[in-house]
Amino acid sequence: MKRISEKLSEYLDFKSIRFIITVSFACITVIAMIFMGILLSGKYSKASEQNVALSTMHVIEQVSLNLDNYEKSMVYITNIIERNINNAPQLPNSRLEEKLDVIFDTRDDIVSIAIFTNKGKLVEGTPFSKLKKDAKVTEEEWFYRGILNSNTTFLSAPHVENLFDGKYNWVLSLSKPVSFYYEGKMTQGVLLIDINFNSIEQLCQKVNLGKSGYIYILDSKNNIIYHPQQELIYNGLKSENNEEAYKNTYGTFKQKVNNEERLLTIKNVGYTDWKVVAISYMDELTTTKSSLTNFSIIILLLAIVFVITIFIFISAKITKPIKQLDESMKLVEEGDLDVKVDIKGDKEVVHLSRSFNLMIANIKQLMHQIVIEQESKRKSELDALQAQINPHFLYNTLDSIVWMAENGKSQDVITMVTSLARFFRISISRGKNIIYVREELEHAKNYLIIQKIRYKSKFNFCIEAEDEILQYKTLKLIIQPIIENALYHGIEYMVEEGFIKITAKKVEEKLLFEIQDNGLGMKAEVLENILSYTFNNKGGGSGVGVKNVHERIQLIFGREYGLEIESELEEGTTVRIYLPLFKDEEYEKFI
Amino acid sequence: MRNLFKIQKKIFTLTLIIIITFSLTSCNKKQDSDNSDTRKNIEFIVKMRSGDYWATVQMGANDAAKEFNVNMNFIAPDNELDIEGQKKLVNEAIDKKVDAIVLSASDYEKMAEVVNNAAANKIPVVLVDSGVNSDKSVSFISTDNVKAGKLAGEKLIENVGKNSKVAILSFVEGSENAINREKGIIDVLSNYPNVKLVAKEYCGSNEAMAKSLTKSIISMDNGLNGIVALNSAAALGAARALEELGLSGKIKLITFDSTILELQYVEKGVIQGTVVQNPFKMGYLGVKYAAMSARGNKVPKDENIDLKVIDKYNIYNPENQRFIFPFTK
Repeated sequence: MKRISEKLSEYLDFKSIRFIITVSFACITVIAMIFMGILLSGKYSKASEQNVALSTMHVIEQVSLNLDNYEKSMVYITNIIERNINNAPQLPNSRLEEKLDVIFDTRDDIVSIAIFTNKGKLVEGTPFSKLKKDAKVTEEEWFYRGILNSNTTFLSAPHVENLFDGKYNWVLSLSKPVSFYYEGKMTQGVLLIDINFNSIEQLCQKVNLGKSGYIYILDSKNNIIYHPQQELIYNGLKSENNEEAYKNTYGTFKQKVNNEERLLTIKNVGYTDWKVVAISYMDELTTTKSSLTNFSIIILLLAIVFVITIFIFISAKITKPIKQLDESMKLVEEGDLDVKVDIKGDKEVVHLSRSFNLMIANIKQLMHQIVIEQESKRKSELDALQAQINPHFLYNTLDSIVWMAENGKSQDVITMVTSLARFFRISISRGKNIIYVREELEHAKNYLIIQKIRYKSKFNFCIEAEDEILQYKTLKLIIQPIIENALYHGIEYMVEEGFIKITAKKVEEKLLFEIQDNGLGMKAEVLENILSYTFNNKGGGSGVGVKNVHERIQLIFGREYGLEIESELEEGTTVRIYLPLFKDEEYEKFI
Repeated sequence: MRNLFKIQKKIFTLTLIIIITFSLTSCNKKQDSDNSDTRKNIEFIVKMRSGDYWATVQMGANDAAKEFNVNMNFIAPDNELDIEGQKKLVNEAIDKKVDAIVLSASDYEKMAEVVNNAAANKIPVVLVDSGVNSDKSVSFISTDNVKAGKLAGEKLIENVGKNSKVAILSFVEGSENAINREKGIIDVLSNYPNVKLVAKEYCGSNEAMAKSLTKSIISMDNGLNGIVALNSAAALGAARALEELGLSGKIKLITFDSTILELQYVEKGVIQGTVVQNPFKMGYLGVKYAAMSARGNKVPKDENIDLKVIDKYNIYNPENQRFIFPFTK
């Protein structure tokens, strides 16, 4: 779990290439998709709006066609009746009456058929033959319009049938001027057919315009002829905004009623001056639109998830080698120059990794070179230091010689000068760095002789070496600094007589010089630090510290050689110098 | 690296699950909202089963039920005097836990209790036509009966003149409508000191009884000039009596309501004027307001329905036609 969260946070690192690639690509894709979505849905809604308008128009045309046909059939009937009236010699006529009865019986949408004179007198009627007592025929619109409109039919708005004793049906009145013989005279009259309003209603009822859409019919004066909620309109519980319908005869309009957008489609009915108006509600459109929008949002979300996942994979693929390089680089930072990357992938990345390897190899080589150069530099430095003779030692020795000469100790002077001469000869050794063990021991012995005279035999010494050893070679001037150290720090402050023992022997195929004294010894912390590079040798001495000896040996022969010091306070110190066992010709391999 | 792929897989599946659940819940929500908007049940309880007046109320109620997408049950006791029967119907509606009740109360005092009962059960009650002595209803849709009475009274005076004897034929004693209509008439009559109210009878909304009562009033006082019949049953009874006695047009008759038979009597000249309410609108608004309050919307507390006085001269005005002749469908 912890690892997962770590990985997650690594992934969510806002500056990582991977994150940037994923996010930017995802953003671009999402924006493109949203843009497309909006564009398409806009196009779709426009198209669906047009579709609705088109289908509404279709419906309306069907309705108006039906109405038209119905009217034509009614006009046809009036024409038949008119012909029959014209054929009748005189009215009332029993044959005509029979004809009217037949027509009335075959058409159940006809409420009544009647013929009136131009004075408003009922001449012929079926099924009613008598007017109501107070009926005022001449005041009816259909009557005077029927008389005026010569030879065309007139269709009234719906009204309550009011001429005959009946059930107060709502009817439409169709009237047409006719002429006939009545009471011996040629008379102008009106033919009236009352049509049951229901028949119009039936023609319009089956219309399907979505859930709540509907159609209604207006006459030329903007009266509502038919409306599915006619009762509500008549009772003032509902109203229609007929402005558009009044102004236009054909077309599709948008209007807003009670905060609901609706589509108004208007069409004239061919024969009359009626208009069919269809209402379809926009919110039904928008519900399908919103469900579509929801659907596309879900699709979009899925697509976004899909795209992001894909990009996560792609970016992982792209950045994987870069990440590997990055990790290798981190190792290099930590100092591991043995790193080698082997990356397969894009051309550029392979190239990069090859360059990386090359670079690391170069660095490694350069570093190695630097180390070598530094070592040799240090070596020569140390050699130079080694070759230096402490001038104080020389002054003091010479002082001692003068002093002894003054006192006439000529034997001592001889010994001292001889020793000094040997000491220097070996020290210089014609500039050679490597000398025989014999010579080195000789050098140590001469030094000890000089010092013993100077210290007035404050100490004794002995040098032991196996004969075999003497033929081997050694680094020069390594014992003398140890002895100097032993004298200055160990024996000088002693009360009793000091003793220095030098042994040279072969141990485990190594050359060992052991310098033992019985001096004051060293404290543990001094002992600990004496060989380390940090130890600052402030003591006087010959200026060539024990540390330098150790360093020189290790620089030349490697870490397995060098100094080993044992010391105990008041007991003395033992210094062991390990060197490789080699003869003249073998020396080359160390340089 | 493999670990990383695993995480990606996890993230992917997680988001997928979230999206799927999101879309499913959104679908469910839609269904829920559809379900919560189920059709409300509305009980429409009127005074009696028969009569053109109530038939027209029912037509309006049906139209509104269709328009506002509710289930409407139109019921009534057999006759207007059966107050206990109407109480029972209301209590049954409460037991059924209908969403709203539309009530035309038969009695102003006695029906108050059940209206309070319904309100206590959190069922909104819309009162139409006649109210009760309770303020627990959400709306009261009525004709201003006092005004109706005044209109009738004025029409009567217009027909009988200022020196005359008149009678009132009411329907149920204690009915709020009857009380208010009488009050309106008497208010008008009190302006005319020479108009005498000679009789006031209750026919119990029974046509036959109205007929016999009319005859007895006429026989008691021969100088009677006019009758006001306070509802359609009383009107028809009185009209029949006048027709049978051959007194059509001689004794003026002013009525209420606009049943087809009454209208025929208007055309014949037996009835000189009738005060017409709008029962269609009443039924429509009753259901509309009931549906609205069942859905938690606010409705007007008081709604007055317009009135018209119809006589034989204005009966076929286009406006009046629409007002009084229902569209039979």
